Amino acid sequence: MSENTNAIIRFEGVTKGFPHNPTVLENINVSIMPGEFVSLIGSSGAGKSTFLKLIYAEETPTMGEIYFNERALSVINRKHLPYYRRNIGTVFQDFKLLPQKTASENVAYALEVDGISTEEINDQVPEILAIVGLGDKADKFPHQLSGGEQQRVALARALITRPKIIIADEPTGNLDPRSTEEIIQLLLEINSYGTTVLLATHNKHVVDKIGKRVIVLSDGIITSDEQVGKYKDSAVSEKTVKTF
Amino acid sequence: MSNKSLKLWRTFKEGWQNLKRNGWLSFATVSILTLSLFIVSLSALLGITTSLILENIKEKVSVNVSFNPDVSETRILEIQSELSKYTKEISSVQYISKEKALDEFLAKNNPVIAQAIQEIGENPLLPSLNIKAVDPVKYPLIVEQLKNSTFQNDINRINYEENRRIFERLEKINVATKKAGMAIGLTFIFIAILITFNTIRITIYSHRAEFEIMRLVGASNLYVRTPFIFEGILYGVFASITTMLLLFGIAYYIAPLTQDAIPQGNFLNLYLGNFHWIFLSLLVLGSTLGVISSAIAIRRYLKI
Repeated sequence: MSENTNAIIRFEGVTKGFPHNPTVLENINVSIMPGEFVSLIGSSGAGKSTFLKLIYAEETPTMGEIYFNERALSVINRKHLPYYRRNIGTVFQDFKLLPQKTASENVAYALEVDGISTEEINDQVPEILAIVGLGDKADKFPHQLSGGEQQRVALARALITRPKIIIADEPTGNLDPRSTEEIIQLLLEINSYGTTVLLATHNKHVVDKIGKRVIVLSDGIITSDEQVGKYKDSAVSEKTVKTF
Repeated sequence: MSNKSLKLWRTFKEGWQNLKRNGWLSFATVSILTLSLFIVSLSALLGITTSLILENIKEKVSVNVSFNPDVSETRILEIQSELSKYTKEISSVQYISKEKALDEFLAKNNPVIAQAIQEIGENPLLPSLNIKAVDPVKYPLIVEQLKNSTFQNDINRINYEENRRIFERLEKINVATKKAGMAIGLTFIFIAILITFNTIRITIYSHRAEFEIMRLVGASNLYVRTPFIFEGILYGVFASITTMLLLFGIAYYIAPLTQDAIPQGNFLNLYLGNFHWIFLSLLVLGSTLGVISSAIAIRRYLKI
């Protein structure tokens, strides 16, 4: 797998440990190709979030190397991290919206930090909010929106910079079934336009319905990687499954 | 607009928006900063006023040299012109004739005494020279010189002893107020810096969760930090304006108490005459305090 040079994300012998847990991830070798939709599953503590954090460089590997478009992340200067991150759209379980900003200001912020002109911002933000179905709620603050709506704002913010890859860490973890369905549909739609999507989730129904590549993480190693995968109960502890 | 100035403008807007949308917290921060600036500027202004009042009193004091009745006016005028040569020590020498002294005495005292003097039918007062020193510190020296001068036998009396006690007391008060004012001022400045720093730190602490989000979305550390620097400047500007208003109120109310006690007329004139200096100092002090507090506080939460 290591000779694959077209991958958008490539892990090469990646091990990540923390002082209290020396092997959160152990010798991970995996490639994600442009345009893929990959579901990452595994029980709590299996290393899913760490896997994603390594990609958007919130964490650095203890051993091994991660490549983004075949460029090693370890050589990126910490000062240039913000520029690298503009290639990646991130969506989280807790939405991570700025509470003092309206929906449209939250989305616009991602463009403002990049120095995009105000005209372009005024052009693009309403457009993207309309795509995620929030055209009429642009001026609402996060606390005035439902969970599903907040996640759609977060998704709009992730999309507006036209990233090469969207990383979604449990994006539906706090949502009701209908909102979950809407968010997953949006992710599939984004993927159909060519954006790579990496989705970490617990949700069995979601994974089974998507019918695309599934990577199973268990105790820090990849136990299964199928091109058209299903949710594997064996990979996830009983307790976690019951929650959903 | 260039990329840099566009970002600068945007971070300024961010700072302004933070200030507006955190209404209560901003209000509290500006109030604390105002209180600090107010206390500091008030202790400074009162110190200056006290010292001006004392200077003013000293200005009004002089040494009076009375001459024996047999000394002629010509002789006194000679002595006057002789003394006037010592321009380094003496600022003015005024001749007061017997007659003038009597006029002044009658004007100052009540009619009964005036009448008594008229009963005598003779002017009991002595001609004198009224000497003002360039610096009140020089009086003892001047008196010493007079006592040992060529005209020492013409002198009837030098009424310096009672003045000397006043000088010494004033000098002591002046030194004491300066020391106390300095100590109190410095203490308050120190307390003010601590309180302001803590308040701004709490404001920034309330934002700490947002820093991570901003960086995830691709904001550089500078882009995250600059709005808070602007916010610090804005705190300083608002606090300075409020302090100027408070000081005006104080100046307006204590103006009658200080009427004619200081060279500027009264405290209000002192305030209005130095308006731009006071305002400028407060702006610099206030925004420096705001910016430094913000910068230190944000460093703590903006790790990477």
